[in-house]
Amino acid sequence: MGYLPCGIYHEYYKQDHAWWQTRFVYVKMVLLVLVLILFPYLVSPMWLSVAYTISYYILACMGVQLLIGYCGQITLGHAAFVAVGAYTSAMMVLFIPWPKLIVDWGLAYPISMIAAGIAAGMWSVLFGLPSARVKGFYLIMTTMAAQWITVPFIITQYVSRIGGRGHYFSLPPGTVKLGPWVIDSDVKVYYLSAALVVLLTLVMANLLRSKVGRAWIAIRDNDIAAETLGVNIVWYKLVAFFVAGFFAGIAGSFYVTALYFVSPEHYEWFFSLMWVGVILIGGVGSLHGTIFGSMFVVLVFKFLEMTIIPMTDMFPWFAMKLIYIKESAFGLAVVLFLLYEPNGLSYRYWQLKNYFNLWPFSY
Amino acid sequence: MTRNNETPADTPLLKVEDIHISFGGVAALTGVTFEVKGGEIFSLIGPNGSGKTVMMNCINGLYRPQKGNISFDGKLISGLSPHQRAEMGISRTFQKIELFSGMTVLDNIRLGRHIHLKSGILSSCLYVGKTAREEIESRKFIEEEIIDLLEIEHIRNHVTGMLPYGMQKRVELARALALNPKILLLDEPLAGLNLEEVEDMARFILDINEEKRWRVTCVLVEHDMGVVMDLSDRVMVLNFGEKIAEGIPHEIQDHPDVIKAYLGEVEELYVTRR
Ligand SMILES: Nc1ncnc2c1ncn2[C@@H]1O[C@H](COP(=O)(O)OP(=O)(O)O)[C@@H](O)[C@H]1O
Ligand SMILES: [Mg+2]
Repeated sequence: MGYLPCGIYHEYYKQDHAWWQTRFVYVKMVLLVLVLILFPYLVSPMWLSVAYTISYYILACMGVQLLIGYCGQITLGHAAFVAVGAYTSAMMVLFIPWPKLIVDWGLAYPISMIAAGIAAGMWSVLFGLPSARVKGFYLIMTTMAAQWITVPFIITQYVSRIGGRGHYFSLPPGTVKLGPWVIDSDVKVYYLSAALVVLLTLVMANLLRSKVGRAWIAIRDNDIAAETLGVNIVWYKLVAFFVAGFFAGIAGSFYVTALYFVSPEHYEWFFSLMWVGVILIGGVGSLHGTIFGSMFVVLVFKFLEMTIIPMTDMFPWFAMKLIYIKESAFGLAVVLFLLYEPNGLSYRYWQLKNYFNLWPFSY
Repeated sequence: MTRNNETPADTPLLKVEDIHISFGGVAALTGVTFEVKGGEIFSLIGPNGSGKTVMMNCINGLYRPQKGNISFDGKLISGLSPHQRAEMGISRTFQKIELFSGMTVLDNIRLGRHIHLKSGILSSCLYVGKTAREEIESRKFIEEEIIDLLEIEHIRNHVTGMLPYGMQKRVELARALALNPKILLLDEPLAGLNLEEVEDMARFILDINEEKRWRVTCVLVEHDMGVVMDLSDRVMVLNFGEKIAEGIPHEIQDHPDVIKAYLGEVEELYVTRR
């Protein structure tokens, strides 16, 4: 919990429950939204793809954060649920003979996105069922099973061969349509991603400050006490798996619009591991942490690319090794964070914020 | 939203029949039977390792006895899980503190209100209307009924793990009381407290039991005989997992079997801190 600025206090409980407790915070939030809206006009187009990749990471990592950071259920198979979402959405858009009305109104994609969330959520619950019985290391094994069963086996061997295609489904231009807008440019993909991030962050923040969120945190901190207070821990764990899977499904469904195709290699195990790394870097048990971690990781990858690609003229060797360099840099970053800033970036942000809030009496 | 605890006096609220439980062949409880009447303070005493905590765990559902029945409020609860029993109105504190140590005092107590919050997952996503209203009401209840009663205004926003031991015990009581329970199981609520804290805690227990607003039936496990004799309506004595005596406090004090069971601990029996 943060501190309020000096000289400000509440007279009603209601104020204490509000998110944005001071006018300053309102101004800050309005500015943030303005920046999100104006972003495409402020930067060169290259940064749009960086921005929506960050959004994709945020959406995917939000579920990881929920499971690990808030509910204490370690998961190492989250890419599987993102994949389920991506395939559900892509296949629904491609293969369902949508009535003309729905196509004209641009509803096929939004419907498929919600279906993707639900499908991925249920798939996640299926692999969360063992959490009723097992904890810690054994649960990690079952979530890894989700990855192995879903991606290399079901999706690669069967799903991606549906319709006699070779390896991937591509979405012909114009198929991804959201209401009147055809999502066909980086700017539109960016706006879609920003809207989804804002919306789902609000949903997650609301869940976390209500009964459900408190139950999750209670299970993480002391499951015996939680159960004694009337929390049905099996049910709430499964709800956590569902919500995490739902977010992953939305993330997968969204990213289809950015890639214009789906293929199993975007959902390899490395991504499951990386998204756990993202929350370690950003801060475990913090929504801000999910956002900071995603920004950090995507930006570091981008800077690596930007410094290495020009060098490939001189050292062609680098071009071959880029992906390994990225992965090693990521591993190094996680290790350094665990050693030197185990609370993650969000903790630094929190310190900074309280420093300013308590100023000038910061002791 | 407040529960009326006016159970008619002298009807059994909790009925424990012939409980047997053993761990790896070591019997922790053998054939224990007793009843707790609505409105009373029923104390459970006995030397260390005699099975008092195990009995609390059986009542609240953390342990499943191998034999025997427990009924509460006229219903058989032996097959229910702890969270179901909590919903029926059974609440407890622990001998070894089980707080959510990373949370603030207020958030700990909020979890005590869990069973009284009815809004679903979808409305929680939006946090409008009912959910928001319910949260405010719950906060009001916590502030006006719990925090005020137990005198913890000054620490409501402190992280519980950082509080002194005596305060942690009090927060645990606050959290258990927030359930608005019909019965409260208190496992050594006074252990490790200093004199002043013991007096406060004993007063709180009496308040919770006697005040018209609460009238919570209490099952108390305690070593401090002075307090036990003062507070209890009835006392039951366990020794090596067997019930050796039951009665009103002064009968128990002079009971030969009880004195024998405490032999070697006789001094402790009569040590009072008040
Ligand atoms: N989970 C458990 N596993 C094995 N033995 C246990 C367990 N819980 C309690 N016991 C044993 O049951 C007996 C009674 O313990 P307990 O009820 O804690 O005593 P006390 O009366 O001091 O509270 C002790 O011998 C203890 O070792
Ligand atoms: Mg004990």
